[in-house]
Amino acid sequence: MNAPVGLDLASIPERIQSEVQRAIQRSIKGVEYFSTSGPALGSTPKDILASRGTMNLYHYRALADEVYRVPVLIVMATTNRGYILDMIPGQSFIEFLLRRGYDVYMLDWMAPKPEEKSLGMEDYVLDFVPDCIRRVQADSGEQEVSVIGYCFGGVLSLLYGSIFPDGPMKNLICFTTPIDFRELKLFHNFADRRYFDVDRLVDSVGNVPPEMILSSFEMLRPASRVTSQVQLWENIWNDEYVKSYRMFDRWATDTLPLAGEYFRAITKDLMWDNKLFNDTMTVGGRKADIADIKVPILHAVAEHDHIVPYEAARHLIAKVGSTDKEEVMLKGGHVSLVAGANAIKRLWPKLDSWLAGRSI
Amino acid sequence: MADKGSDPVALWQQMIGEMEKGFNAFANQTMTSPEFSKAMNQAGGASAGAQKQFGDFMEKYLLGMNLPSRAQMIGMAERLQNIENQLNEIKVMLQQMNAGNAPSVYSGAPRPPRTKRPPSAPSAGSPPTGEQK
Repeated sequence: MNAPVGLDLASIPERIQSEVQRAIQRSIKGVEYFSTSGPALGSTPKDILASRGTMNLYHYRALADEVYRVPVLIVMATTNRGYILDMIPGQSFIEFLLRRGYDVYMLDWMAPKPEEKSLGMEDYVLDFVPDCIRRVQADSGEQEVSVIGYCFGGVLSLLYGSIFPDGPMKNLICFTTPIDFRELKLFHNFADRRYFDVDRLVDSVGNVPPEMILSSFEMLRPASRVTSQVQLWENIWNDEYVKSYRMFDRWATDTLPLAGEYFRAITKDLMWDNKLFNDTMTVGGRKADIADIKVPILHAVAEHDHIVPYEAARHLIAKVGSTDKEEVMLKGGHVSLVAGANAIKRLWPKLDSWLAGRSI
Repeated sequence: MADKGSDPVALWQQMIGEMEKGFNAFANQTMTSPEFSKAMNQAGGASAGAQKQFGDFMEKYLLGMNLPSRAQMIGMAERLQNIENQLNEIKVMLQQMNAGNAPSVYSGAPRPPRTKRPPSAPSAGSPPTGEQK
C-alpha cells in the first residue's frame, strides 16, 4: 500500500512521540487549569479619583520621566470592564501609553445597582463624562483633554463632543464605534420594534441583566464558545495560549448589566430610530449632531469585526465636521483590535504616532 | 515532517475551524429573519416576566429566612472584587519594590513635567518591553 501523498513516513514516530507528550501535558495542565486562577488583570498602578455609583475614574501613575501636556481620558464601553485595556504587563495598552509619555485617565464602569435603573443617556453624556473631564482638568492642571472611546464608549464620546463642541476636548479617538445602527444587523433584528417590547422588559427587570447582554454577544457567533473550548483543550499544554485564553475569556464573560433607562434610550433612539446617523439625536433636550465636532479625530476600525461591522462604523469620519480626520482599518476583530498581540503590533503604535504630535 | 495537507492534527483543526465558520454563517443567516426575532422575543418576554415574578417571590422568601438576596450577594461580590483589585495593586507594588524598581510616583508626590515632545521621526512603534524609556 502506498503512503498518502505528502506523508513523510520517517516523521511518524517523531509525531507520535510529540502527540503522546502533549496528551500527558494536557492531563497535567488540565488539572492545573481548574485548580489555579488566571493571571491578575488590570494591575497597572492607579489611583481612584472618583467613584460615584456606576462611574469610576482612575488616574494611572506615570511611568515616564516627562509626559505630554495634554492628558488622555479613556471612556470605556458600558457593557464591559476597562481591564481589557490593561491586561498584564507587556500586554497592557495603558502601560504602553504611560511608557510613551501620556498622562492617562480612565472612565470605567461598575455594575449599576438596582436603584440606578433610572440612569438615562443624559446621565452618561451630560453628567458622568463631563464630570470626569472636569476632574481630569483639575487633577492635571490642563484645560484641554484628549478623549479615547472604545465601542460604545466611542458613542458616548461622540455625543459628548457634539454637545460641547467648544471644548475642552482637544482630540478624539474612537475605536470601532458604530453610528449607523441599522447595520448592526443581528442586534437590529433582535431588537425589532414589532416584536421586542423594550418597555415591558425594562419595566419588569429594571437593569438589563448581564446574562442577557452576554447571550446577545454570544449569539453573534453561536459556535465560537464551543470551538474555543475545543481549541483550549488542544492547546492546554501551551502555557502562553492558556494564559491568553484565560485573560480574554474572563473579560468577555465579565459583562456588566445596563441601566434600564439607558438601555431603553439605546433601543429606541439608536436601534429603532437610528438618530445618530440621521442627525436627529438629542440628549436631555440638547441637540447632538456629530457634524458639530471640529476637533482632530482618528477612527480605528477592525477588518473582521463581528460586533461592529465596518458598515455600521464607516460613516463616522464622513459625518464629523473636523478637517483633521482619519479612519484607519486594521487587521483584527472587535477585541483583538485593542488588546493582544495584534493590537501591540498595529493599533497601539498607530495611535501613538497620531496622538503624540497633537498632545503638546 | 509531514506537511499540513497530511498532518491529522492540522486537518482536525482545519475541520473545526471550517465547522465553526459554517455554523456561525448559517446561524447568522437564520437569525436575521423576522420570524427568528418574533420567536426569540416571545420566549424572552415571557421569561423576563416570569423571572421578575420569581425574583420578587425569592426576595421575600430569603428576607423571611434571614438570608441574603442575590442583589446583596452581588453587592458583596463587587466589594470583594474591589478588595481583590487593591490586593493585586499591592502585589504588583511589592514585586516592583522587591525588584528594586519601586514606582517613583505616588499619589500626592511630584509628578513628571508636562514637557514631552514627540520624537521628530515617529517610529514604527514597538511593543512595550518593560524597560523605562
